[in-house]
This record gives sequence, C-alpha cells and structure tokens, in this order.
Amino acid sequence: IETARIFDFEEFPVRDKVTYMYYTGRLEVYNENFPAADHKLSYALTHCSTKKEANIRMILKYLVPVKLSIGILPTALLLEKFNLNEYADVVLALKRGDLRLLRHALEEHEDRFLRSGVYLVLEKLELQVYQRLVKKIYIIQKQKDPNKAHQIKLDVIVKALRWLEIDMDVDEVECIMSILIYKNLVKGYFAHKSKVAVLSKQDPFPKLNGKPVNA
Amino acid sequence: DEKKEGEEISSQWEDDWDDDDVKDDFSQHLRKELESNPAKNEAKFT
Repeated sequence: IETARIFDFEEFPVRDKVTYMYYTGRLEVYNENFPAADHKLSYALTHCSTKKEANIRMILKYLVPVKLSIGILPTALLLEKFNLNEYADVVLALKRGDLRLLRHALEEHEDRFLRSGVYLVLEKLELQVYQRLVKKIYIIQKQKDPNKAHQIKLDVIVKALRWLEIDMDVDEVECIMSILIYKNLVKGYFAHKSKVAVLSKQDPFPKLNGKPVNA
Repeated sequence: DEKKEGEEISSQWEDDWDDDDVKDDFSQHLRKELESNPAKNEAKFT
C-alpha cells in the first residue's frame, strides 16, 4: 500500500486546487492571518472559471474584507458585477474617513456579515477610518496654515467626531490617537498637558501597502 | 478568452486610493464644521 507519498500540489486538477485554496483561505480569515488569506483566496479567484459566477462571488465575499484589512479597495465595477453591494458603503467610509457611515453599513448588513463570519474583520477597519479622518483634518489644516498643520488639537478631532454624531471626550480621543500611533497608522507624539497630538513631519500617515495593521 | 476575463477580474483592486484630495463633499463639510465658530458649536449640544 502506498501511504507516505508526498503529493505535489501542482499535480491536482485546477478545480480541486481552487476548492482547496478557497477553504484554506477561509480558515486563514478566521485565524486573522490576512497575508496568507490574501494569497490563498487570490489564487482561487485567479484560477476559478469565469463561467462560475456564483463561485467567484463566494471567493470575493471573503477576499474583499481581507483586501480591505490590508488597505486595498475593490473597484466599484467589481462590487457591482458580482452583486456585493453590501461592501459599497464600507469602501466609501474608508475613502472618506466617515466613521458614521462605516458603523451604519456594519449595522445595516450585520446579519449577512455575521453569517459569513467577516463581521469582526470589518469592525477592525475602524482604525483605518480614524486614520483617514485625522489625515483629512491634517490636510485641511495644512491648506489653511502649513506651519501649524502638524499640531492637531484633540479638541478638533472631538469636534469632527461630534459632527459625525459620535460622542467622545478629549480623553477618549487621546486613547484612540495612542492606538493609532502604537499601530503605526499615525507617526507622532502627544503634548499631553496641552492636549495636542504632534505629527511627524515625515510620512505622518504611513500607508498599509498590502500589509496588515500591526497586531 | 476566459483567461483574459479571469485576469480582468483579478485586476479590479486599487491600492493607491489614499490621496490628499479634500475636494469631495464630505471633506468640504468637514472643513466647514472645523472652521465654524466653536462657541456656536458648543451651544448646539447644551
């Protein structure tokens, strides 16, 4: 009996390889190992027959949140073509830095996201949305006064959040900013007493570029 | 032909979207909000 034969992955039929990569990719999503999930699900997507639209959709249901979590957005065309409209507002929220829209989108499609098991992945996008919002505040300040733009008063962030109907006080915002700095989504430090976040003059908002947010 | 279509699907991703553009509606509203009189803003919530 032939037992310990080591199989070469490439020997299997394409459709079996696609199935294997889809399921092991999904496992990587649950393990929150996003680079591996990206690799496996992207393999499944590239090798899946384009005639099997339902299968492509199943792959994308997991690949889209994985890509989002490493800072890569699907095009509107992709979401439209495979009827993944539940992600449209999530993408828009990331682009805008619109925390209210993100929360609203997660609430609206909660059932669907919980059922497929990607809810927790999407919830973590909040940090990227905060990053984007602070970046927008920074750019707006810079246009007004380039010399002071890298000093962001925590009060200003409180105000922006209040406008988005999110009620946070200065201490809570300081906590969020600390997390952003710790996770390398923002480079800078605090002037704790004066309640100001001082941003690095060089690359204050590092991009993820296909890498996950630091754990 | 199917391969071409497959490549097309696989290329539907944007990694360079995080630009410095603040001309969109959301940013314009944000700007207005940040520039508005702070005292007036406080009053709205008391």
